[in-house]
Amino acid sequence: MNRPVQPVTPGAAELSSLLLKAADGDTAAFHAFYDRTSAKLFGVILRILVERQESEDVLQDVYLSIWRKAATFDPSKASPITWAATIARNRAIDRLRARPPRAQVPVEAAFELADDGPAQDAGLIHGDDVRRLTAALASLEPRHAAAIRACYFDGVTYDELAEREQVPVGTLKSWVRRGLIRMRGALEGSEA
Amino acid sequence: MSQSPDQNGLDGLTELEAQAMDYALGGGSRAERKAAELRSLSDPDFRAAVERWQQLLSPLDDTTPGIAPPPSVWAAIAAEVTPLPRRAAGPAAKASWWDNLNLWRMLGLGGPVLAAVAVALLVQPGSVGPAVPAMVANGPALVATLADATGKPLIAAAYDPASGQVRFAPVAASDDTTTGKVPELWVIEGQNPPRSLGVIDIAAGRSQTIPRERLAGLKPGSILAISIEPTGGSPTGAPTGPVIATGKLAAA
Repeated sequence: MNRPVQPVTPGAAELSSLLLKAADGDTAAFHAFYDRTSAKLFGVILRILVERQESEDVLQDVYLSIWRKAATFDPSKASPITWAATIARNRAIDRLRARPPRAQVPVEAAFELADDGPAQDAGLIHGDDVRRLTAALASLEPRHAAAIRACYFDGVTYDELAEREQVPVGTLKSWVRRGLIRMRGALEGSEA
Repeated sequence: MSQSPDQNGLDGLTELEAQAMDYALGGGSRAERKAAELRSLSDPDFRAAVERWQQLLSPLDDTTPGIAPPPSVWAAIAAEVTPLPRRAAGPAAKASWWDNLNLWRMLGLGGPVLAAVAVALLVQPGSVGPAVPAMVANGPALVATLADATGKPLIAAAYDPASGQVRFAPVAASDDTTTGKVPELWVIEGQNPPRSLGVIDIAAGRSQTIPRERLAGLKPGSILAISIEPTGGSPTGAPTGPVIATGKLAAA
């Protein structure tokens, strides 16, 4: 079940140390942490929410949470960027779910936005992990992989996806869950 | 349309594992995500399962291009994280928890944005915290210490079945926005969705009378949760705002 501990990149070690200092109230360290991670988190949020102003609001909330919760960060459980990006994804998805029903911004707009800046903080996640996971995802049936991507990257719900794919929600969930189990199996080097 | 999945829709997964995957991936509805969030606060096995899936999926984040946010975002954050000068906090003129953030800031850690501390024990009158009379005329009283996601106690709650009242002792403040927001109490019984017990006023030692019909079935093991909702309470009947605390009811 448990994955082997991720290799720690130099970036992750530095971020952990910044977070520890932030937990002690060091605002300069927190600022440095922000500078190193905010483009990644903003990218994650903007991809889900698309709307710029709303994404900025969420980004601000997320960093206030990080500042407040810095002391609870446990480097043995997650890398700092994973920890922070998870907070950002969850907050963005919750914000998306809280929107009143209305026309969705076309997905293309997200990609357009997503192209307008380089990642200033690439390399915070170990490259091997990225390659193995994207390969595992790419090995799934295309519709299953697409469903997983849509949920993870765009915050689309199972219900919306089921409608889009014209399958019952139970079937859609089944695709996604089986897909995730297979990905986990592939990462563990054994069949799921 | 093809085959239907397993009868239980779980595909041979445990219900815990399926819910953890759904939450980590993010495909659930608002209510489903809220339920998972609540569960993760009170169920360590579930939380661990969620963390494993989040960890597994996290390399995907590296494939999303980073985008530098405008400087205004940091400016707004910096305004909040600058430690506040400590002020002498007089006794609260108004009893509302929410009106006394500064007081709570004083009580809790010097942490700037905070989420504070200081456990008040309702079941031990005379101990730290607001003196709350012992309750229980007849029947077992129920108590719960509601803690935040990190396990830090925030609020103690006690239910007196004789009077049908629930008392709260605030043991910490939240930094959530206070304007136009109120805390709302929920109970989660087993696998059922959260059920509202109503909007509450968490002032020290103040009793809160909750309609008896809402309290029917309240028993040890049920989970109490407090979320932050718009004035008047959740418009949807399910928690919509951040869950600030949860705790399990136990016999006093």
